[in-house]
Amino acid sequence: MPLAPRHSPLADPARQGAALTTSRRALISGIASGVGLLSLPASLAGCAKPGGLAALELGSPFPELDHGLLSRLLSTLSARGATGADVYAQRARRNRLRLEDGIISSASTTIDQGVGLRALLGDKAGYAFTEDLSPAALEAAARTAAAIANSAPAQSAPQAFQVGAPDRHYRLALPWAEVGVDQKLPLIQRVEAIAKGLDPRVSRVSITWSDDDESVLLATLDGRVLIDRRPMTRLWVEVTATQNGRSFSNSSNVAGREGLAWYTEDRLQQVAREAVERTLVLFDARRPPAGELPVVLAAGASGILLHEAIGHGLEADFNRKKTSIYADMLGQSIAPELVTIVDSATEPHARGALNVDDEGNEGQRTVLVERGKLVSYIHDATSAKHYGVAPTGNGRRESFRHVPLPRMRCTFMEDGPHSVDEIISSVQRGIIAETFTNGQVQIGAGDFTFYIKNGWMIEGGKRAYPIKDVNIIGNGPEALRRVSMAANDGRLDSGGWTCGKDGQSVPVSQGLPTVRVDRLTVGGESV
Amino acid sequence: MSEPITAAPSTVVNPALGPDEAELLSRAEQAVSSALRLGARGARASARSGREVELRLRDGEIEKLQDAGSRGLSIELYVDGRYSSHSTADLRPDAVEAFLRDAVALTRALAPDPHRRLPSAAERGAVPTTALDLVDEEVAAGFDKDAAEALLRRSDAVLRGHAQAISATSTWSQSTGTWATVTSDGLAVTERSTSAWLGAEVTLKDAGDARPEEWDWRGGRQRSALPAPELLAESALRMAVARLGAKKGPSQRTRLIVSPRAAGNLIGHLLRPASAAAVQQGKSFLAGKVGQPLFSPQLSLVDDPLLPRGLASRRVDGEGIAAARLPIIEGGVLRAIYVDTYYGSKAGLKTTTGSPSNRVFALGNADLDHHVGQAKRAVLVTSWLGGNSDPTTGDFSLGLRGHLIEDGHLGGPIGEMNVTGNLLTLFASLSAVGNDPYPWSSTRSPTLVFEDVQLSGA
Repeated sequence: MPLAPRHSPLADPARQGAALTTSRRALISGIASGVGLLSLPASLAGCAKPGGLAALELGSPFPELDHGLLSRLLSTLSARGATGADVYAQRARRNRLRLEDGIISSASTTIDQGVGLRALLGDKAGYAFTEDLSPAALEAAARTAAAIANSAPAQSAPQAFQVGAPDRHYRLALPWAEVGVDQKLPLIQRVEAIAKGLDPRVSRVSITWSDDDESVLLATLDGRVLIDRRPMTRLWVEVTATQNGRSFSNSSNVAGREGLAWYTEDRLQQVAREAVERTLVLFDARRPPAGELPVVLAAGASGILLHEAIGHGLEADFNRKKTSIYADMLGQSIAPELVTIVDSATEPHARGALNVDDEGNEGQRTVLVERGKLVSYIHDATSAKHYGVAPTGNGRRESFRHVPLPRMRCTFMEDGPHSVDEIISSVQRGIIAETFTNGQVQIGAGDFTFYIKNGWMIEGGKRAYPIKDVNIIGNGPEALRRVSMAANDGRLDSGGWTCGKDGQSVPVSQGLPTVRVDRLTVGGESV
Repeated sequence: MSEPITAAPSTVVNPALGPDEAELLSRAEQAVSSALRLGARGARASARSGREVELRLRDGEIEKLQDAGSRGLSIELYVDGRYSSHSTADLRPDAVEAFLRDAVALTRALAPDPHRRLPSAAERGAVPTTALDLVDEEVAAGFDKDAAEALLRRSDAVLRGHAQAISATSTWSQSTGTWATVTSDGLAVTERSTSAWLGAEVTLKDAGDARPEEWDWRGGRQRSALPAPELLAESALRMAVARLGAKKGPSQRTRLIVSPRAAGNLIGHLLRPASAAAVQQGKSFLAGKVGQPLFSPQLSLVDDPLLPRGLASRRVDGEGIAAARLPIIEGGVLRAIYVDTYYGSKAGLKTTTGSPSNRVFALGNADLDHHVGQAKRAVLVTSWLGGNSDPTTGDFSLGLRGHLIEDGHLGGPIGEMNVTGNLLTLFASLSAVGNDPYPWSSTRSPTLVFEDVQLSGA
């Protein structure tokens, strides 16, 4: 456990696993925007029968957590002087199906549920969780978390709550809970048929399907209850191709907070075709030369550059502790004017979208770098208080088993003034990076990497030959200063990216227009 | 196809079992019984419970105290020649019953697969009676916050004593876990384990904006494995100080000396394709190569699940197969790969074990310092940054940090460099193995020395 690299391996789950997040802003306004605003007299809220009134009226996925119990738990959490407290309940059903060797003969279902209880005293956190939702188990966990504080006077817990469910960015007409396995199997079989039909060299196709239906409920010491239903699905296609005794494997995947209807014939065609094309091109791919070269990042998944080179470094926990290379750069010009970087929770149905973060702050669009100037860090509630700014809605946690941290959501760069052709033809000798498996960064030194699975060598301003399996390494602030061109083709990648930090994985999205970075170290092979 | 016809699991009530183990055993047995009643022809269930505590001290103040118990139930079902696996944290009896009913119904919707079956008792073998010594009763008894905090304060004082320290974090982490596995054909086994770890992390102010950071974590199954906090903190500080003023080194082909702590990652890449799943799925550069001399004769390593106090020690694997030492590489010859029942059946390979445990190396005669002192020109790798490998081809490319070595002396720190090549070629070039295995990981890798390796830098 403690021996894993600590910071932010970002990975495409198709290969390893990792991810991204960002943004911040106020929120209490968001509470009223959801399904209903509801407060109960304390006497009613305190009734202990299962399925408190408010919860039932909102269709709460946690009928056992009525407002009386939430109030008592917050009271226990703050009884020893905590200045903040929250109760985070989560219930999820995750389904997986796997096709291999022509048949779907493996499935799994995971039911996860539990409650995390947090007491805050300034920057200090006491935390406990339990998978047992009985009042006695919850009270015991609350007492454990409360022990971070001692002796200071008890805070008064809310007797009534403002209830919100800001259901904006990924509501599904047909939730996954209502989709039977018989509706999923034909889609998986269809993808296999498409992939196998594309080229006779395709020797194996395997497919992993996942759909998750997750609900969270958050109750805070300042009297808010927020409910969010968070769907997620991913379709991952792996292909092995064989020709003259040589084999290559590669994959493609699509993911989002989407439902069954998202899997149109076009989308199935697209993911199958990508997986096959990315595999077949490896027969002709070589390693580029070793050393420093100009790097052209293709639109879409190349947003991994932002995630690693700057995103993690802007997470405000690292900055309030002064451990990030960006700790003294707020307000400064850190990149050319064509660079505007955004971290947004509001991209519809994106994997990194969030209606509300895991501290009860509304999801929003946060500009991090505006025309080259660093204008905001990525905040959780603790860092926002530290810096005296409004929360950006980036407090996220992997599950009820973890404390929230500042994390990215959908991180992307706005379009620039150039065309793709202009950018490629500007490079005499360099590479194009197209697909990626993973990345990582050292927050303090600023060094970051990402691993290119597919790309192209550029010679004389033209694509010369395909390249493969190259690690790229650079320094975050230096790489940003070297962004010299950006095209008008920006898009958010629909791959299933997952970001790791302090042992917690969260889903994220990333995007980029085609961009030229004048110099990065390419892990190639000299002849 | 050859599903076991099930008998009710024999209830093995070992009087030596603690209350946790007995309760988990009972829970797993009930799940198997329910599954059979609901229509499964075979099942394997595991129940677990545990407690984890973390106390973190940052810059002299307690930053985080986390203390939580957890529990869960997982089950694999064999229904009419079909298979599925499930887990739940909702252990209320009626919820478990409904969960299993759904699970059996789901399984029936899948395609039959003749390769899915429980390993037979003969294939599993007898559960070893080896004493693994995985429990420190003092750790299992509870958490002594004052004692833990006292250790952290000693580490903190050393870390913050450095003039360039920006941030210092010291962490105590302990865990206790118990699990029980039951199958429908008579396996019933339990295990308990504990762990205790201390961590020290420090960030230093460098010239410019850079803030190099380093960490050291040490511990094990027993409290006695914990280091003196001062020693741990000094080690983390020494590594961080060594990073001050890091520069990019030149692109070159050179000898590469990999420190014990960093070597484990390379071994992980090398053995990622060493599984029946990878071989059967056509994604392994090791396919069909068992018995061949693929690597340098210097390389020998054994998978040893029975190592006393080992971080990945176990008496049975996830399928209940009895743990045994498994030589993976001997004198550069690939001797075995990880083969579970399912992929072994599909690939026509004899089952070994489905997952790695402790990896133990045949050691050389000298440590890292000696190998550095012997090198005229080389690069020392102290840690990796990102990178990946392709298990189908063995091609790899990894970011590295470390030091230049000239005439046996350690030069300045380098970073922002990559090493690129093919794992088969790299491990064929292994010229020496150290005598200094890294004890704080289940991969007990020593110093590894490779020749003529491609580095990319300035």
